[in-house]
Amino acid sequence: MSVPVLRLGDVLIASIQAALTDRDLLQLRDDLSDQVGRFRARGVIVDVTALDVLDSSAIRTVRDLAHTTRLRGARTVVVGIQPEVAFAMVQLGLTLEGVATALDLDEGLALLRQEDA
Amino acid sequence: MPAEVHVTIRDETDIVTARQRGRELAAIHGFSKTEQTFIATAISEVARNIVAYARRGEIVLATSQDQGRPCIVVVARDEGPGIQDVEVAMRDGYSTSKGLGMGLGGAKRLMDAFDLISAVGKGTTVTMKKCVR
Amino acid sequence: MADTTFAGTDLPRRAEIEIDEQEVNRRKQFLEFRADDAEALKSLEPIAEQYADPVIEDLYRHFLSFDETGGFFRDPKVLERVKRLQREYFVRLTEGDYGADYVRNRLGIGTVHERIDLAPKWYLGAYSFYLRAVATRLLEAFGKEPQKAFSAFLSLMKLVFLDIGLAVETYIAARDRTMRKQQEAIRELSTPVLQIRDRLLLLPIIGVIDTHRARLITESLLRSIRANRARVVVMDVTGVATVDSKVAQHILQAVAAARLMGASVIVTGLSSNVAQSLVALGIDLGTLNTAGDLQGGIEDAERILGYRVVRAAETGRGPQLAERR
Ligand SMILES: Nc1ncnc2c1ncn2[C@@H]1O[C@H](COP(=O)(O)OP(=O)(O)O)[C@@H](O)[C@H]1O
Ligand SMILES: [Mg+2]
Repeated sequence: MSVPVLRLGDVLIASIQAALTDRDLLQLRDDLSDQVGRFRARGVIVDVTALDVLDSSAIRTVRDLAHTTRLRGARTVVVGIQPEVAFAMVQLGLTLEGVATALDLDEGLALLRQEDA
Repeated sequence: MPAEVHVTIRDETDIVTARQRGRELAAIHGFSKTEQTFIATAISEVARNIVAYARRGEIVLATSQDQGRPCIVVVARDEGPGIQDVEVAMRDGYSTSKGLGMGLGGAKRLMDAFDLISAVGKGTTVTMKKCVR
Repeated sequence: MADTTFAGTDLPRRAEIEIDEQEVNRRKQFLEFRADDAEALKSLEPIAEQYADPVIEDLYRHFLSFDETGGFFRDPKVLERVKRLQREYFVRLTEGDYGADYVRNRLGIGTVHERIDLAPKWYLGAYSFYLRAVATRLLEAFGKEPQKAFSAFLSLMKLVFLDIGLAVETYIAARDRTMRKQQEAIRELSTPVLQIRDRLLLLPIIGVIDTHRARLITESLLRSIRANRARVVVMDVTGVATVDSKVAQHILQAVAAARLMGASVIVTGLSSNVAQSLVALGIDLGTLNTAGDLQGGIEDAERILGYRVVRAAETGRGPQLAERR
C-alpha cells in the first residue's frame, strides 16, 4: 500500500493511513524526497494520526524520513502522534529527538507558517 | 473465546495481525487503552525480530490470573539462529542489523515481566506478561 | 482480626485526642461533678474491689450472649485479657483522682474499642448494663442505708457520663481520621489538569509519586493535551513530597511524551537543591525547560504562546493580557 502525498502550496502532506510495511515506508521516503525537489517544497508534514502502534522500526523510518526531507531543504513536522502511542514511545526510549512535532495537521501547518515568518 | 491465540509469523503483515490480536485480547480483559497500546507495541517488537532474524516463527497469546487480576501472556517462539549473548542483545542500542536496538529492552519496559531464552542454532523464545492494574 | 488487635493491646494505646486540665474541669462543672462526688467515689474503693469480679463476670456473660458483641471475645485468651483490663477500668472509677491522667486513660480505652470495630451502640449499651449491675451491688452493699447507695450511685453516674463523652469523642476522632485519609488518597490519585488559558495547561502535582501514579498522571496529561489542543504545559512540582532520581525520570518521560504530541512543558518548583542532587545522580536535566516558580512558569508559557503582559499605565485599566498575533 503506497501513501498518497498531497500538496498544499509549498507544503507536502503525507498521511499514513494504516500500518505500513517497511517497504511501504521506504517507498514513501523516496517519494517525498523526490517531490521536495520537484516542487521545491518548503515544508513536509508526516501525519501519523491513524497509527495505533509505532514500534521501534516504524519510529526509525519516520525519523529517517524527517531527516531525509530536511536534508533536501524542507522543514519536516511529524503530527498526530496519539497519546497512548506517545507514552509507548517514551517507554521504548525513542522520543524522536531533533524532529519537530505538532498536535495535528492544523498545528503542523501553523508551525511551518510561524517558521516562515 | 479460545484459551490461546496462535499467530504464525512469516512476514510483516503477520506482525500487524499479531499485535491486533493482542490488543483485542487486552481490550476484552479490561486493560486500559494505554496498556493495550503497550502490549501491542511489545508484541510488534518481538514479532518483528522473528521476521528480521529468524524468518519465521509464531506468537502465542494467552490469558491468566494473578491475584484476581487478569493478565496477558505473550510467547514469541522461533527456530532461527538464536542469540549468542542474551545480555548484550538486551542492551539498549545494541543491534546486529543497523536497527535502533531498542526492541528487546523496550518490550521489557512496556510489559510487567519479560524473559528471553535462546540457544545458538536452535532458536529463541521470548515470554512476556502484563496484568491489569 | 478484631481479636488479634485486642489481644495485642496490653495497655490501652495512646489516644489521639488531647484534652487539657481546663477542659476536663469545664466538663466536670457541666456534669456537676464536685469534690464531694470524688470523695464519695473514693470511699467506695473497698466495695469496688469486692464486687469487681462478679460485676465483670455478669458483663461478659451479657456480651457473650449476643453475636454482635460475643464475637470479639470467643478466644479464651482474649477474654482473659479484656476481663483484666475491664477490672482495671472498674477499680479506676473509685481511685479518687479524676484529672488529666484519668481522662487520658479513658480516651485510650475508647480508642481500643474503636480499633476493634465495636460499634458505639454496643459500647454505650454496655454502659447501661454496667450502671444497672453496679446499682444492684450498691444497694446490696449498703443494706439498710439505700439513701447512701442512691447518692453514691449518682456520683458514679456523673463520672460514667464523663467517660461516655470521652468514648464518643474517640469514635468521632477515628471517623474524622478515616475521612482525612480517604481525602488524602483521593487527592493523591486525582491530579487535575487545568486549562488556565487557551492552549495553556497547568498540572500541579501534589504528594508522593510512585510508578503507578506517575503513569496515571502522564496518561491524563497526554489526554488533556489532545482534548484542549494545548501547546504549553506548566508542570508545577512544588508539592511533590520528594524528587529523587526515579521521580525525575517520571517527569522527564512525561515531558518527552508531551513533546511528541507537540506540547512543550515548563517545569516549575524544582528547588536548586533538588536540581543539584539530580545532576549529581547523573540525571540529565539539560533538555528540561524550567522556571523558578509557578508565576515565572506561567509568564514563560504566555511568552511562548505569544501573549504579552500589558501594564496598567498603557491601557488605563488594570493589568491584563493582550494577544500579540
Ligand atoms: N528472534 C531473534 N533471533 C535472533 N536474534 C535476535 C532475535 N531477536 C533479537 N535478536 C538479536 O538481538 C538484537 C537486539 O534486538 P532488538 O533489541 O529488537 O533491536 P534491533 O531489532 O533493532 O536490532 C538484534 O539485533 C539481534 O541480533
Ligand atoms: Mg528489534
